[in-house]
Amino acid sequence: MNQSLIRCVLTSLCIFACVVQAQTADVKITQAFVEVHTGPARGYPIFHVIERGEWVTVLKRRTNWFKVLLPNKKQGWISYQDLALTESVTGQATQLLDQDFSGFGERDVELAVFAGVFDSVKALTVAGTWVWTPNIATELSYTQALGDFSQNEILMIRVQHSLFPEWRLSPYLSLGAGWVRTSPKANLVQSGDETRYSDALEIGLGLRYYLNRNFLVRLEYKDLLVVTDRDEQQENNQWNLGFAVFF
Amino acid sequence: MEPWFRSIFLSVIFIVPGAYAQQAAEDQTANPMVVEPVVKRRDINEADIDTEDFELGLFVGNISIEDFSSSSLVGARLTYHISQSFFTEASYAQAQAGQTSFEILSGGAPFLTEDERDYRYYDLSLGYRFSGETFVTQNWVFNSDFYLQAGAGSTDFGGDDRFTMTLGAGYRLLLTDWLIFRLDAKNHLFDSELIGPEKNTHNLAYSFGVSAFF
Repeated sequence: MNQSLIRCVLTSLCIFACVVQAQTADVKITQAFVEVHTGPARGYPIFHVIERGEWVTVLKRRTNWFKVLLPNKKQGWISYQDLALTESVTGQATQLLDQDFSGFGERDVELAVFAGVFDSVKALTVAGTWVWTPNIATELSYTQALGDFSQNEILMIRVQHSLFPEWRLSPYLSLGAGWVRTSPKANLVQSGDETRYSDALEIGLGLRYYLNRNFLVRLEYKDLLVVTDRDEQQENNQWNLGFAVFF
Repeated sequence: MEPWFRSIFLSVIFIVPGAYAQQAAEDQTANPMVVEPVVKRRDINEADIDTEDFELGLFVGNISIEDFSSSSLVGARLTYHISQSFFTEASYAQAQAGQTSFEILSGGAPFLTEDERDYRYYDLSLGYRFSGETFVTQNWVFNSDFYLQAGAGSTDFGGDDRFTMTLGAGYRLLLTDWLIFRLDAKNHLFDSELIGPEKNTHNLAYSFGVSAFF
């Protein structure tokens, strides 16, 4: 039983390894020379120089650096700028189909972190966004707002509508619903039974700004209506400034 | 098959190839023997080349919790490399706070319950790296980085979550292309009123860890 299980796992791992095996590409150097670094940053030393006409195989990428296999079978890293000046096997300039502004319109997922103010209290938010069409996206977010008297945790799901998805500075409207968990500070109450759960509705306005590659800056303002058991409803506002990565 | 259906079916069979043959004949007279070259371009597509910008790691160390002795610390972190210099990082760790000197000396009632002594934090930070290399011996050389980090997060201690600012500096040694050894020193600043009036506390942690790129 155990052996067959292990065999099954090994087989599926082999299949997975075959499936995920990434492609490599051969490129020809056209500059007089290209410096090869020992690691993926400008600060790592140059240990080799590839000359014009030599072929290298591109193995993988880290940020804007590419790991290459040299003709002498050694491996090193060359920069994005140098790779962009090479030729592919067809004799044409290597096309680096990199994430650019067109990728912004075609993104599927966005991950964001925000620092902000929730009713004059510092708040941190993490959010994941699924982009269905250029205009419509849904987002799930978790906020923790830590005040002097109480702590609010907010879990929200919202629908966003990007008004002009083709703009670099792109505004959006959002409408959401979720829950707020409010717990008072431990030094204010001795018993912990004061924690409240409330439903909340939210309306928001935001801006996305495309930075470069797959990075965005986001600024948003949200108005929350917290449905309480008390006579009057509670209204809160939230400002957020954040950084997002899209894929 | 119904007779009417059969006749439609047969007429389609006969008419369509005839129409195609006629069109092909017209094309040939207008455009004799043009062979379009089919060039398959082998471009480097970001989707095809394996991209490794994430780093996942574990660390152990020691944290000095202000007024509550120092304790061992265990945690995990996820790093995303934005560029060759900038990176963002999320980390989570936990420790068990000790006793204040007052509790130890007086032998009196403890300030906190056992549960309240659980010290847990998370933080999100932005870092900047200075890359270089380290000569362990004359011929044994590793790539290495020195980095600075600043961030914000939350610390759950003494029954409350506290907004926490973090400031840190560290050193990492690239053992291989994907395996990294790290040494970190990080200060966690938050306001606490656990032993009297509210004050700003500094909780300095140092740790070492390993992480891997994927």
